[in-house]
Amino acid sequence: MQFRIDPSAWQARLLLAVASQLAFCDSALAQFPHPPPSPAQQIVNGLRPSAPLDNRQSTPLTGDAPMPSDDPHDLSGTWMHTDDLIFRNVRDMYALMTPFTEAGAKALARRVNSKSPFINASAICRPPGQFFQLDLNFPFHIFQSKNWMEWVFEEYHGVWNVILDPSAAPAPKEKSYMGRSEGHWEGDTLVVETKDFAHDFWIDANGAPASASAKLTYRIRKVNPGDHNPYLQVLITIDDPTYYTRPWTLARRYHWRPNRVIMNEYNCEEQIGDPSVKSDAGLIPEPKG
Amino acid sequence: MTMVDWRVGWASKIAVGLSAAAMLAAPAHAQFAESTVIVPDSAIPRAGAHFEGAWKIAKPQTSLQPAGSIPFTREGRKHYEENKAYRAKGDYDDYDIYTSRCSNPGVPRLGLTSLRFKIWQQQGVLTFVYEWNRAMRQIDMRGVDTPPLDAPTMAGHSIGRWDGATLVATTTDISERTLLDDLVPHTADAKVTERFRLADHDTLEDRITIEDPAYFTHPWDAVITYKRQPDALFPEDVCLDRLKSYDAAMAGK
Repeated sequence: MQFRIDPSAWQARLLLAVASQLAFCDSALAQFPHPPPSPAQQIVNGLRPSAPLDNRQSTPLTGDAPMPSDDPHDLSGTWMHTDDLIFRNVRDMYALMTPFTEAGAKALARRVNSKSPFINASAICRPPGQFFQLDLNFPFHIFQSKNWMEWVFEEYHGVWNVILDPSAAPAPKEKSYMGRSEGHWEGDTLVVETKDFAHDFWIDANGAPASASAKLTYRIRKVNPGDHNPYLQVLITIDDPTYYTRPWTLARRYHWRPNRVIMNEYNCEEQIGDPSVKSDAGLIPEPKG
Repeated sequence: MTMVDWRVGWASKIAVGLSAAAMLAAPAHAQFAESTVIVPDSAIPRAGAHFEGAWKIAKPQTSLQPAGSIPFTREGRKHYEENKAYRAKGDYDDYDIYTSRCSNPGVPRLGLTSLRFKIWQQQGVLTFVYEWNRAMRQIDMRGVDTPPLDAPTMAGHSIGRWDGATLVATTTDISERTLLDDLVPHTADAKVTERFRLADHDTLEDRITIEDPAYFTHPWDAVITYKRQPDALFPEDVCLDRLKSYDAAMAGK
Protein backbone atom coordinates (compact mmCIF):
# COMPACT_ATOMS: atom_id res chain seq x y z
CA MET A 1 0.00 0.00 0.00
CA GLN A 2 1.28 3.39 -0.94
CA PHE A 3 0.59 6.32 1.34
CA ARG A 4 -0.60 9.26 -0.67
CA ILE A 5 -1.20 12.49 1.19
CA ASP A 6 -1.49 15.71 -0.72
CA PRO A 7 1.61 17.66 0.38
CA SER A 8 -0.18 20.91 -0.36
CA ALA A 9 -2.56 20.26 2.53
CA TRP A 10 -0.99 21.98 5.48
CA GLN A 11 -3.00 20.27 8.14
CA ALA A 12 -1.82 16.96 6.85
CA ARG A 13 1.71 18.24 6.68
CA LEU A 14 1.67 19.33 10.29
CA LEU A 15 0.78 15.82 11.30
CA LEU A 16 3.43 14.48 9.00
CA ALA A 17 6.07 16.79 10.39
CA VAL A 18 5.34 15.36 13.80
CA ALA A 19 5.55 11.90 12.34
CA SER A 20 8.94 12.71 10.90
CA GLN A 21 10.20 13.66 14.32
CA LEU A 22 9.19 10.23 15.47
CA ALA A 23 10.37 8.45 12.41
CA PHE A 24 12.94 6.47 14.28
CA CYS A 25 10.61 5.31 17.03
CA ASP A 26 9.21 1.84 16.70
CA SER A 27 5.91 2.98 18.13
CA ALA A 28 5.55 5.51 15.36
CA LEU A 29 6.44 3.02 12.70
CA ALA A 30 3.87 0.62 14.03
CA GLN A 31 1.13 3.09 13.20
CA PHE A 32 1.73 2.78 9.49
CA PRO A 33 0.99 -0.18 7.29
CA HIS A 34 4.32 -0.65 5.61
CA PRO A 35 4.85 -2.47 2.37
CA PRO A 36 7.53 -5.14 2.44
CA PRO A 37 10.97 -3.75 1.62
CA SER A 38 12.11 -3.96 -1.95
CA PRO A 39 15.38 -5.73 -2.73
CA ALA A 40 17.04 -2.31 -2.85
CA GLN A 41 15.59 -1.36 0.53
CA GLN A 42 16.77 -4.66 1.96
CA ILE A 43 20.31 -3.65 1.02
CA VAL A 44 19.83 -0.44 3.00
CA ASN A 45 18.23 -2.26 5.93
CA GLY A 46 21.28 -4.48 6.15
CA LEU A 47 23.71 -1.60 6.67
CA ARG A 48 25.19 -0.93 10.06
CA PRO A 49 22.98 1.48 11.99
CA SER A 50 23.40 5.24 11.92
CA ALA A 51 22.07 7.12 14.92
CA PRO A 52 20.94 10.74 14.68
CA LEU A 53 23.28 13.29 16.19
CA ASP A 54 21.91 15.21 19.14
CA ASN A 55 23.78 18.41 18.54
CA ARG A 56 21.14 20.91 19.42
CA GLN A 57 22.24 24.24 20.76
CA SER A 58 19.48 25.95 22.58
CA THR A 59 20.24 29.41 23.83
CA PRO A 60 16.78 30.44 25.02
CA LEU A 61 15.30 33.48 23.33
CA THR A 62 14.64 36.25 25.81
CA GLY A 63 11.27 37.97 25.87
CA ASP A 64 12.68 41.01 24.13
CA ALA A 65 14.62 39.06 21.51
CA PRO A 66 14.12 40.27 17.94
CA MET A 67 11.45 38.29 16.15
CA PRO A 68 10.98 37.66 12.44
CA SER A 69 8.61 39.81 10.42
CA ASP A 70 4.90 39.17 10.83
CA ASP A 71 4.65 39.15 7.04
CA PRO A 72 4.47 35.48 6.04
CA HIS A 73 6.14 36.35 2.74
CA ASP A 74 9.15 37.86 4.45
CA LEU A 75 11.52 35.10 5.53
CA SER A 76 14.51 37.33 6.19
CA GLY A 77 16.61 36.79 9.27
CA THR A 78 18.81 34.15 10.87
CA TRP A 79 17.71 30.53 11.04
CA MET A 80 19.28 27.21 11.90
CA HIS A 81 18.50 23.52 11.92
CA THR A 82 18.33 22.83 15.63
CA ASP A 83 16.73 19.39 15.59
CA ASP A 84 18.81 16.24 15.63
CA LEU A 85 21.01 15.77 12.62
CA ILE A 86 20.01 12.64 10.74
CA PHE A 87 23.07 11.22 9.06
CA ARG A 88 21.18 8.72 6.96
CA ASN A 89 17.70 9.40 5.65
CA VAL A 90 16.29 5.90 5.35
CA ARG A 91 12.69 6.96 5.93
CA ASP A 92 10.65 9.77 4.49
CA MET A 93 8.39 12.08 6.42
CA TYR A 94 5.63 9.51 6.27
CA ALA A 95 7.98 7.07 8.03
CA LEU A 96 7.99 4.99 4.87
CA MET A 97 11.26 3.57 3.71
CA THR A 98 13.18 5.74 1.32
CA PRO A 99 12.38 4.38 -2.16
CA PHE A 100 15.90 3.62 -3.28
CA THR A 101 16.46 2.13 -6.69
CA GLU A 102 19.03 -0.64 -6.80
CA ALA A 103 21.58 1.93 -7.96
CA GLY A 104 20.67 4.22 -5.09
CA ALA A 105 20.90 1.50 -2.46
CA LYS A 106 24.21 0.29 -3.81
CA ALA A 107 25.64 3.81 -3.84
CA LEU A 108 24.65 4.33 -0.21
CA ALA A 109 25.90 0.89 0.80
CA ARG A 110 29.22 1.51 -0.93
CA ARG A 111 29.66 4.73 1.01
CA VAL A 112 28.58 3.33 4.38
CA ASN A 113 30.59 0.12 4.07
CA SER A 114 33.83 1.69 2.91
CA LYS A 115 36.57 1.45 5.51
CA SER A 116 37.69 4.95 4.56
CA PRO A 117 35.14 7.67 3.81
CA PHE A 118 34.90 8.78 0.22
CA ILE A 119 35.79 12.19 -1.06
CA ASN A 120 32.67 14.24 -1.65
CA ALA A 121 31.98 17.86 -2.51
CA SER A 122 32.00 19.11 1.05
CA ALA A 123 35.22 17.29 1.84
CA ILE A 124 36.99 19.14 -0.94
CA CYS A 125 35.49 22.46 0.11
CA ARG A 126 33.02 22.69 -2.75
CA PRO A 127 29.35 23.70 -2.32
CA PRO A 128 27.61 20.48 -1.23
CA GLY A 129 24.09 21.45 -2.29
CA GLN A 130 21.50 23.36 -0.38
CA PHE A 131 19.87 20.41 1.37
CA PHE A 132 23.16 19.22 2.84
CA GLN A 133 23.94 22.79 3.90
CA LEU A 134 20.53 23.31 5.44
CA ASP A 135 20.64 20.03 7.31
CA LEU A 136 23.89 20.48 9.21
CA ASN A 137 23.47 22.44 12.41
CA PHE A 138 24.95 25.72 11.26
CA PRO A 139 23.14 29.04 10.97
CA PHE A 140 22.16 30.78 7.76
CA HIS A 141 20.82 34.19 6.85
CA ILE A 142 18.03 34.93 4.43
CA PHE A 143 18.34 38.24 2.66
CA GLN A 144 15.26 39.02 0.66
CA SER A 145 14.41 41.46 -2.09
CA LYS A 146 11.67 41.74 -4.66
CA ASN A 147 13.21 39.53 -7.31
CA TRP A 148 15.07 36.96 -5.27
CA MET A 149 16.16 35.62 -1.90
CA GLU A 150 19.78 35.01 -1.01
CA TRP A 151 20.36 32.33 1.60
CA VAL A 152 23.87 32.80 3.02
CA PHE A 153 25.25 29.89 5.01
CA GLU A 154 27.96 29.86 7.63
CA GLU A 155 29.32 26.50 6.55
CA TYR A 156 31.25 26.43 3.28
CA HIS A 157 30.31 30.12 3.03
CA GLY A 158 27.58 28.78 0.79
CA VAL A 159 25.04 30.87 -1.04
CA TRP A 160 21.68 29.64 -2.29
CA ASN A 161 19.90 32.01 -4.63
CA VAL A 162 16.15 31.57 -4.88
CA ILE A 163 14.82 33.46 -7.88
CA LEU A 164 11.35 34.87 -7.48
CA ASP A 165 11.24 36.63 -10.86
CA PRO A 166 13.00 34.50 -13.48
CA SER A 167 12.89 37.35 -15.99
CA ALA A 168 15.20 39.29 -13.68
CA ALA A 169 17.76 36.50 -13.47
CA PRO A 170 18.33 34.75 -16.80
CA ALA A 171 19.71 31.24 -16.61
CA PRO A 172 23.52 31.21 -16.59
CA LYS A 173 25.46 29.48 -19.35
CA GLU A 174 26.95 26.98 -16.94
CA LYS A 175 25.29 24.77 -14.38
CA SER A 176 26.33 25.17 -10.77
CA TYR A 177 26.88 23.09 -7.64
CA MET A 178 23.76 24.58 -6.08
CA GLY A 179 21.64 24.27 -9.20
CA ARG A 180 19.11 26.83 -10.33
CA SER A 181 16.24 27.56 -7.97
CA GLU A 182 13.04 29.31 -8.94
CA GLY A 183 10.37 30.02 -6.36
CA HIS A 184 6.80 31.24 -6.25
CA TRP A 185 4.25 31.76 -3.53
CA GLU A 186 1.27 29.47 -3.11
CA GLY A 187 -0.61 31.30 -0.41
CA ASP A 188 1.86 31.66 2.43
CA THR A 189 4.04 28.81 1.21
CA LEU A 190 7.12 29.47 -0.87
CA VAL A 191 7.52 26.68 -3.40
CA VAL A 192 11.06 26.42 -4.76
CA GLU A 193 12.06 24.08 -7.56
CA THR A 194 15.77 23.38 -7.87
CA LYS A 195 17.42 21.60 -10.80
CA ASP A 196 20.30 21.95 -13.27
CA PHE A 197 23.02 20.78 -10.92
CA ALA A 198 26.55 20.65 -12.29
CA HIS A 199 27.43 17.43 -10.47
CA ASP A 200 25.94 14.51 -8.62
CA PHE A 201 25.76 15.27 -4.91
CA TRP A 202 25.07 13.79 -1.50
CA ILE A 203 21.76 14.37 0.22
CA ASP A 204 23.04 13.53 3.67
CA ALA A 205 26.27 12.91 5.51
CA ASN A 206 26.14 9.14 4.99
CA GLY A 207 25.92 9.67 1.26
CA ALA A 208 22.35 9.10 0.10
CA PRO A 209 22.89 9.90 -3.55
CA ALA A 210 21.35 12.45 -5.87
CA SER A 211 22.16 12.80 -9.52
CA ALA A 212 22.87 16.02 -11.36
CA SER A 213 19.51 15.61 -13.08
CA ALA A 214 17.60 15.48 -9.78
CA LYS A 215 14.81 17.94 -9.15
CA LEU A 216 14.28 19.09 -5.57
CA THR A 217 11.14 20.89 -4.51
CA TYR A 218 11.12 22.87 -1.29
CA ARG A 219 7.83 23.95 0.27
CA ILE A 220 8.74 26.59 2.83
CA ARG A 221 6.58 28.47 5.25
CA LYS A 222 7.14 30.45 8.40
CA VAL A 223 5.47 29.09 11.51
CA ASN A 224 5.05 30.96 14.75
CA PRO A 225 3.40 28.64 17.25
CA GLY A 226 3.15 31.42 19.83
CA ASP A 227 5.83 30.06 22.12
CA HIS A 228 8.42 32.66 21.16
CA ASN A 229 10.17 30.02 19.11
CA PRO A 230 9.28 30.55 15.44
CA TYR A 231 10.67 28.37 12.71
CA LEU A 232 10.67 27.69 9.01
CA GLN A 233 8.91 24.48 8.16
CA VAL A 234 10.34 22.97 5.02
CA LEU A 235 9.18 19.94 3.09
CA ILE A 236 11.81 18.74 0.65
CA THR A 237 10.73 16.45 -2.17
CA ILE A 238 13.48 14.62 -4.03
CA ASP A 239 12.59 13.58 -7.55
CA ASP A 240 15.48 11.62 -8.98
CA PRO A 241 14.60 8.49 -10.97
CA THR A 242 18.27 7.55 -11.17
CA TYR A 243 18.38 6.72 -7.50
CA TYR A 244 14.76 6.66 -6.25
CA THR A 245 11.76 4.80 -7.63
CA ARG A 246 9.42 7.71 -6.91
CA PRO A 247 9.55 11.21 -5.47
CA TRP A 248 9.90 11.18 -1.69
CA THR A 249 9.69 13.90 0.90
CA LEU A 250 11.53 14.89 4.06
CA ALA A 251 10.37 17.41 6.66
CA ARG A 252 12.65 19.78 8.50
CA ARG A 253 12.41 22.74 10.87
CA TYR A 254 14.83 25.65 10.98
CA HIS A 255 14.43 27.76 14.07
CA TRP A 256 14.81 31.50 14.49
CA ARG A 257 18.29 32.17 15.94
CA PRO A 258 18.97 35.89 16.44
CA ASN A 259 21.93 34.96 18.65
CA ARG A 260 23.69 33.59 15.57
CA VAL A 261 23.45 36.73 13.47
CA ILE A 262 27.24 37.02 13.65
CA MET A 263 28.45 33.92 11.91
CA ASN A 264 31.70 32.08 12.49
CA GLU A 265 34.22 32.16 9.71
CA TYR A 266 34.40 28.99 7.67
CA ASN A 267 37.60 28.97 5.65
CA CYS A 268 38.03 25.40 4.49
CA GLU A 269 40.16 26.54 1.53
CA GLU A 270 43.05 27.26 3.88
CA GLN A 271 43.03 23.69 5.14
CA ILE A 272 42.44 21.93 1.86
CA GLY A 273 45.48 23.51 0.29
CA ASP A 274 47.86 23.12 3.20
CA PRO A 275 50.83 21.07 1.98
CA SER A 276 52.06 20.46 5.54
CA VAL A 277 49.18 18.22 6.56
CA LYS A 278 47.27 15.36 5.05
CA SER A 279 44.50 17.59 3.88
CA ASP A 280 42.27 14.77 2.66
CA ALA A 281 41.83 13.64 6.30
CA GLY A 282 42.05 10.03 5.19
CA LEU A 283 39.30 10.25 2.60
CA ILE A 284 39.71 8.24 -0.57
CA PRO A 285 38.31 8.62 -4.08
CA GLU A 286 35.03 6.81 -4.61
CA PRO A 287 35.23 3.98 -7.11
CA LYS A 288 32.97 4.30 -10.13
CA GLY A 289 29.79 2.28 -10.36
CA MET B 1 53.05 41.57 20.75
CA THR B 2 50.40 39.03 21.60
CA MET B 3 51.44 35.79 20.02
CA VAL B 4 48.19 34.03 19.33
CA ASP B 5 48.93 30.88 17.45
CA TRP B 6 46.73 30.77 14.35
CA ARG B 7 46.95 27.01 14.43
CA VAL B 8 44.64 26.90 17.41
CA GLY B 9 41.76 28.15 15.36
CA TRP B 10 42.95 26.28 12.33
CA ALA B 11 43.01 22.97 14.13
CA SER B 12 39.45 23.27 15.27
CA LYS B 13 38.32 24.42 11.89
CA ILE B 14 39.85 21.56 10.03
CA ALA B 15 38.05 19.23 12.36
CA VAL B 16 34.80 20.96 11.53
CA GLY B 17 35.40 21.31 7.85
CA LEU B 18 36.46 17.80 7.19
CA SER B 19 34.81 15.69 9.80
CA ALA B 20 31.39 17.21 9.34
CA ALA B 21 31.77 16.39 5.71
CA ALA B 22 33.13 12.95 6.18
CA MET B 23 31.42 11.92 9.41
CA LEU B 24 34.73 11.14 11.01
CA ALA B 25 33.90 12.71 14.34
CA ALA B 26 30.27 13.15 15.15
CA PRO B 27 30.20 16.18 17.47
CA ALA B 28 32.46 18.26 15.25
CA HIS B 29 30.35 21.33 14.94
CA ALA B 30 29.96 21.64 18.69
CA GLN B 31 33.50 22.96 18.67
CA PHE B 32 32.21 26.38 17.76
CA ALA B 33 30.77 27.81 20.94
CA GLU B 34 27.29 29.15 20.39
CA SER B 35 26.94 32.89 20.82
CA THR B 36 24.43 33.79 23.49
CA VAL B 37 24.31 37.48 22.60
CA ILE B 38 20.78 38.58 21.75
CA VAL B 39 20.18 42.27 21.25
CA PRO B 40 16.59 43.58 21.29
CA ASP B 41 15.59 45.65 18.29
CA SER B 42 15.00 48.61 20.58
CA ALA B 43 18.61 48.52 21.77
CA ILE B 44 20.19 48.47 18.32
CA PRO B 45 21.54 51.94 17.44
CA ARG B 46 19.74 53.56 14.56
CA ALA B 47 21.65 53.34 11.31
CA GLY B 48 23.26 56.61 10.25
CA ALA B 49 23.21 55.63 6.59
CA HIS B 50 22.11 52.86 4.31
CA PHE B 51 24.81 51.15 2.31
CA GLU B 52 22.72 48.25 1.07
CA GLY B 53 23.20 47.32 -2.55
CA ALA B 54 25.73 45.88 -4.95
CA TRP B 55 29.13 47.55 -5.19
CA LYS B 56 32.39 47.16 -7.08
CA ILE B 57 35.80 48.69 -6.63
CA ALA B 58 35.94 51.84 -8.76
CA LYS B 59 39.45 51.29 -10.04
CA PRO B 60 40.92 47.79 -9.93
CA GLN B 61 43.95 47.71 -7.68
CA THR B 62 45.81 45.01 -5.80
CA SER B 63 47.60 47.21 -3.27
CA LEU B 64 46.36 49.74 -0.75
CA GLN B 65 48.24 52.67 -2.32
CA PRO B 66 48.70 55.03 0.63
CA ALA B 67 49.45 58.68 -0.16
CA GLY B 68 53.03 58.33 1.08
CA SER B 69 55.32 55.43 1.70
CA ILE B 70 54.39 52.74 4.17
CA PRO B 71 56.14 53.46 7.51
CA PHE B 72 57.64 50.04 8.05
CA THR B 73 59.57 49.19 11.16
CA ARG B 74 62.72 47.18 10.54
CA GLU B 75 60.86 43.97 11.28
CA GLY B 76 57.96 44.95 9.06
CA ARG B 77 60.28 45.88 6.20
CA LYS B 78 62.11 42.57 6.54
CA HIS B 79 58.86 40.62 6.26
CA TYR B 80 57.72 42.75 3.32
CA GLU B 81 60.96 42.13 1.45
CA GLU B 82 60.64 38.41 2.09
CA ASN B 83 57.20 38.49 0.55
CA LYS B 84 58.57 40.28 -2.50
CA ALA B 85 61.22 37.59 -2.86
CA TYR B 86 58.64 34.83 -2.60
CA ARG B 87 56.54 36.52 -5.24
CA ALA B 88 59.50 36.89 -7.57
CA LYS B 89 60.03 33.12 -7.31
CA GLY B 90 56.33 32.34 -7.67
CA ASP B 91 56.25 30.74 -4.20
CA TYR B 92 52.83 32.10 -3.38
CA ASP B 93 51.95 29.54 -0.74
CA ASP B 94 54.85 30.78 1.36
CA TYR B 95 53.29 34.18 1.86
CA ASP B 96 49.89 34.54 0.16
CA ILE B 97 47.40 31.72 0.64
CA TYR B 98 44.66 33.85 -0.88
CA THR B 99 46.42 33.43 -4.20
CA SER B 100 47.66 29.88 -3.72
CA ARG B 101 44.69 28.33 -1.89
CA CYS B 102 41.70 30.65 -2.33
CA SER B 103 41.76 31.35 1.40
CA ASN B 104 39.67 34.29 2.57
CA PRO B 105 41.93 37.32 2.00
CA GLY B 106 40.75 38.96 5.19
CA VAL B 107 40.34 42.59 6.19
CA PRO B 108 41.07 44.95 4.52
CA ARG B 109 42.16 42.94 1.45
CA LEU B 110 38.64 41.64 0.80
CA GLY B 111 37.92 45.21 -0.23
CA LEU B 112 40.45 44.91 -3.03
CA THR B 113 38.81 41.97 -4.76
CA SER B 114 37.93 42.94 -8.29
CA LEU B 115 34.47 41.39 -8.43
CA ARG B 116 31.27 42.81 -6.98
CA PHE B 117 30.02 42.53 -3.43
CA LYS B 118 26.73 43.15 -1.69
CA ILE B 119 26.06 44.86 1.58
CA TRP B 120 23.05 43.90 3.66
CA GLN B 121 22.01 45.76 6.81
CA GLN B 122 19.91 43.54 8.99
CA GLN B 123 19.53 42.99 12.73
CA GLY B 124 22.14 45.65 13.48
CA VAL B 125 24.79 43.88 11.45
CA LEU B 126 26.35 44.79 8.12
CA THR B 127 26.98 41.65 6.13
CA PHE B 128 29.25 41.88 3.10
CA VAL B 129 28.78 39.00 0.66
CA TYR B 130 31.48 38.95 -2.01
CA GLU B 131 31.08 37.59 -5.49
CA TRP B 132 34.64 36.25 -5.24
CA ASN B 133 34.33 32.74 -3.86
CA ARG B 134 31.18 33.67 -1.88
CA ALA B 135 33.40 35.19 0.80
CA MET B 136 31.79 37.03 3.66
CA ARG B 137 32.60 39.52 6.40
CA GLN B 138 30.37 41.15 8.96
CA ILE B 139 30.49 44.32 11.03
CA ASP B 140 28.62 44.17 14.32
CA MET B 141 26.77 47.47 14.80
CA ARG B 142 24.56 46.33 17.67
CA GLY B 143 26.39 48.40 20.23
CA VAL B 144 27.11 45.57 22.63
CA ASP B 145 30.27 44.09 23.99
CA THR B 146 30.97 40.76 22.41
CA PRO B 147 33.73 38.45 23.56
CA PRO B 148 36.97 38.44 21.57
CA LEU B 149 37.60 35.58 19.22
CA ASP B 150 39.22 32.47 20.64
CA ALA B 151 41.81 32.75 17.90
CA PRO B 152 42.36 35.13 14.99
CA THR B 153 40.40 34.57 11.82
CA MET B 154 40.96 35.85 8.33
CA ALA B 155 38.28 38.53 8.49
CA GLY B 156 38.86 39.17 12.18
CA HIS B 157 36.46 40.67 14.66
CA SER B 158 34.76 43.83 13.39
CA ILE B 159 32.86 46.14 15.70
CA GLY B 160 31.29 49.30 14.35
CA ARG B 161 29.47 52.43 15.40
CA TRP B 162 27.79 55.28 13.59
CA ASP B 163 29.48 58.67 13.58
CA GLY B 164 26.67 60.58 11.92
CA ALA B 165 26.38 59.12 8.44
CA THR B 166 29.82 57.51 8.66
CA LEU B 167 30.27 53.95 9.79
CA VAL B 168 33.41 53.54 11.86
CA ALA B 169 34.51 49.92 12.10
CA THR B 170 37.42 48.56 14.08
CA THR B 171 38.74 45.15 13.20
CA THR B 172 41.11 43.14 15.37
CA ASP B 173 42.05 39.47 15.73
CA ILE B 174 43.03 39.30 12.09
CA SER B 175 45.13 36.24 11.34
CA GLU B 176 48.68 37.02 10.33
CA ARG B 177 48.10 34.43 7.62
CA THR B 178 46.49 37.23 5.66
CA LEU B 179 48.13 40.22 4.02
CA LEU B 180 46.88 43.77 4.13
CA ASP B 181 47.10 43.83 0.34
CA ASP B 182 49.05 41.78 -2.18
CA LEU B 183 52.35 42.13 -0.32
CA VAL B 184 52.13 44.06 2.93
CA PRO B 185 52.24 41.81 6.01
CA HIS B 186 50.90 42.44 9.49
CA THR B 187 50.98 40.80 12.88
CA ALA B 188 48.07 39.36 14.85
CA ASP B 189 48.03 42.62 16.80
CA ALA B 190 47.07 44.73 13.81
CA LYS B 191 44.10 47.04 14.16
CA VAL B 192 42.24 48.16 11.07
CA THR B 193 39.93 51.13 11.38
CA GLU B 194 37.58 51.80 8.49
CA ARG B 195 35.40 54.82 7.94
CA PHE B 196 32.70 54.03 5.39
CA ARG B 197 30.60 56.84 3.97
CA LEU B 198 28.53 57.57 0.91
CA ALA B 199 30.36 60.25 -1.06
CA ASP B 200 27.21 60.33 -3.15
CA HIS B 201 24.36 57.90 -3.74
CA ASP B 202 26.43 55.76 -6.07
CA THR B 203 29.85 56.11 -4.47
CA LEU B 204 30.97 54.37 -1.29
CA GLU B 205 34.25 55.39 0.27
CA ASP B 206 36.25 53.29 2.70
CA ARG B 207 38.98 55.29 4.43
CA ILE B 208 41.29 52.79 6.09
CA THR B 209 43.77 53.32 8.92
CA ILE B 210 46.30 50.61 9.73
CA GLU B 211 47.89 50.34 13.17
CA ASP B 212 50.41 47.64 14.01
CA PRO B 213 53.33 48.89 16.10
CA ALA B 214 55.45 45.81 15.48
CA TYR B 215 55.45 46.40 11.74
CA PHE B 216 54.67 50.13 11.29
CA THR B 217 56.21 53.08 13.09
CA HIS B 218 52.92 54.99 13.04
CA PRO B 219 49.37 54.57 11.73
CA TRP B 220 48.96 54.97 7.98
CA ASP B 221 45.95 55.49 5.72
CA ALA B 222 44.59 54.36 2.41
CA VAL B 223 41.28 54.96 0.63
CA ILE B 224 39.28 52.56 -1.52
CA THR B 225 36.30 53.79 -3.52
CA TYR B 226 33.43 51.68 -4.75
CA LYS B 227 30.75 52.34 -7.33
CA ARG B 228 27.18 51.16 -7.01
CA GLN B 229 26.25 48.35 -9.39
CA PRO B 230 22.90 47.27 -10.78
CA ASP B 231 21.26 44.81 -8.44
CA ALA B 232 21.88 41.30 -9.71
CA LEU B 233 22.37 37.77 -8.52
CA PHE B 234 26.01 36.83 -8.51
CA PRO B 235 26.93 33.67 -10.39
CA GLU B 236 28.30 30.86 -8.24
CA ASP B 237 32.04 31.39 -7.93
CA VAL B 238 34.21 28.51 -6.71
CA CYS B 239 37.78 29.71 -6.58
CA LEU B 240 39.21 26.25 -5.97
CA ASP B 241 37.87 25.11 -9.32
CA ARG B 242 40.11 27.67 -10.94
CA LEU B 243 43.11 26.14 -9.21
CA LYS B 244 42.31 22.53 -9.90
CA SER B 245 39.37 20.84 -11.49
CA TYR B 246 36.55 19.26 -9.56
CA ASP B 247 37.16 15.89 -11.17
CA ALA B 248 40.81 15.89 -10.16
CA ALA B 249 39.91 16.86 -6.61
CA MET B 250 37.30 14.10 -6.38
CA ALA B 251 39.96 11.68 -7.56
CA GLY B 252 42.17 12.77 -4.70
CA LYS B 253 44.66 14.59 -6.92
